[in-house]
Amino acid sequence: MSSQGTPAAGDKKGVWAALRRPSGRYSMLGLISVGFVAGVLFWGSFNASMEASNSMEFCISCHEMRQNIYEEYRKTAHYANPSGVRATCADCHVPRDWGHKLVRKVLSVRELYGKLAGTIDTKEKFEAKRLEMARIEWARMRASDSRECRNCHSYESMNLEGQQQRGRKQHELALRDGQTCIECHKGVAHKKPDGMTEEDAGA
Amino acid sequence: MMMGKTFLGLALALAAGAADAAAPADWSKVPSKTITLFYPGAAHWEWMQKATEHSGIKGMRKGESCAGCHDQETADMGKKMVTGQKVEPAPPKGKAAAIPVTVQAAHDGSNMYIRFSWKQPPSAGGAKQDPDNPVKLAFMLEDNKIEMANLAGCWLTCHQDARTMPDAKDDKRTKYVAGGALAGGKFFDLLQWKSGKGAKPADGYVADKRVMEGGKALVDVKAEQKGDTWTVTFARRLTGGEGDVTLVAGKAYNFDVAIHDDSAIGRFHHVSLGYSLGLDNAKVDINVVKQ
Repeated sequence: MSSQGTPAAGDKKGVWAALRRPSGRYSMLGLISVGFVAGVLFWGSFNASMEASNSMEFCISCHEMRQNIYEEYRKTAHYANPSGVRATCADCHVPRDWGHKLVRKVLSVRELYGKLAGTIDTKEKFEAKRLEMARIEWARMRASDSRECRNCHSYESMNLEGQQQRGRKQHELALRDGQTCIECHKGVAHKKPDGMTEEDAGA
Repeated sequence: MMMGKTFLGLALALAAGAADAAAPADWSKVPSKTITLFYPGAAHWEWMQKATEHSGIKGMRKGESCAGCHDQETADMGKKMVTGQKVEPAPPKGKAAAIPVTVQAAHDGSNMYIRFSWKQPPSAGGAKQDPDNPVKLAFMLEDNKIEMANLAGCWLTCHQDARTMPDAKDDKRTKYVAGGALAGGKFFDLLQWKSGKGAKPADGYVADKRVMEGGKALVDVKAEQKGDTWTVTFARRLTGGEGDVTLVAGKAYNFDVAIHDDSAIGRFHHVSLGYSLGLDNAKVDINVVKQ
């Protein structure tokens, strides 16, 4: 005779216990299938969200971006050029490889805080913070050896002979001295911040 | 006194005669180089050294010259500055952005003959800063004694406190070289021709200040205008006196040219980048060939 008032071994209650308890109702195949579909849906939506937040439309949906740096960017070769290749916000500011991209996305949470707090919600506030923000991005680019620039540009594929005299000379010197893109190419897609020091300019 | 004047006149006549006798009879046989002078705005030496304004200074500190990066784009640079897109707080409306000048030079063992030809740009029609002299042309020589003179040329003499610069306070302040001195040869030899009636050419130098007289090298200057084309030829002794660079075959000297067009003064001129000049030296920009 079994004792009905005493729980059997392993018959514990709670969510974790329920998750750990083998199913007596569903087949292994059913569980794997459901898990697979759920995984695809979760992963797909997660990745789609990340990609959606990489689009230029997403970036300029905030007036802070649209009214300030987007207008400057529209006048540069990264927006329109004879070859018809465009580099959008994420091409320069978000790493392409998944690991670095995830880190960048996580760090961008602080930008959400800035949005909510209205840190740069007027032109005046934006200009007051421009140098500080630029320095953060310059440091990030320098630390990664201008990784995002190099998604499109490289010394190996650069035809120095086809460049104009000034660019050719500067690239020859940079190549010789092992310089990275961002050391010279500050302000290529946005206005240079007021108050830049000689150190900022790489002197 | 009268005798002294007669002697001086005779000496000048002989000198001029000697120049006439030895100047190339056919300039078409003398090699030429076209140097495009451009409007430099207010881009003085202090501006040039700020990496935030002029990133090229980083290359210059590694030994690159102005001409090494900009020689082929001087006309575009002039356009940017004359229209106020860059380094010009008061764009001079109608002023030429650039003036291409053909330079030829020869020597006879005693004198150098250097000839400048250019097409005069249309007048901007503004106020005449120097109404007596519609056109002036100057060139400078330097004997590699001033640091960076081989890279920056006459920019070493052009400072933010010079007259006509936006922040200048002393309207008597002209060109100078920081640390410049005749002793030790730290000066730019300066020769200038003026188009004004009766105006005398100057033979001076720029050291700690600009001096427009006292040189012993200049023999004479001949200038003519045919239509809208100017041709100005300097005859200059290879060896002069104080403030004159001695020219020796085989060496390279730093060479710069400027034109004050349309009755301009001060910084409102057209200038060349720094180039090299030498006697019988195929490696320099302006090879002064033996006749």
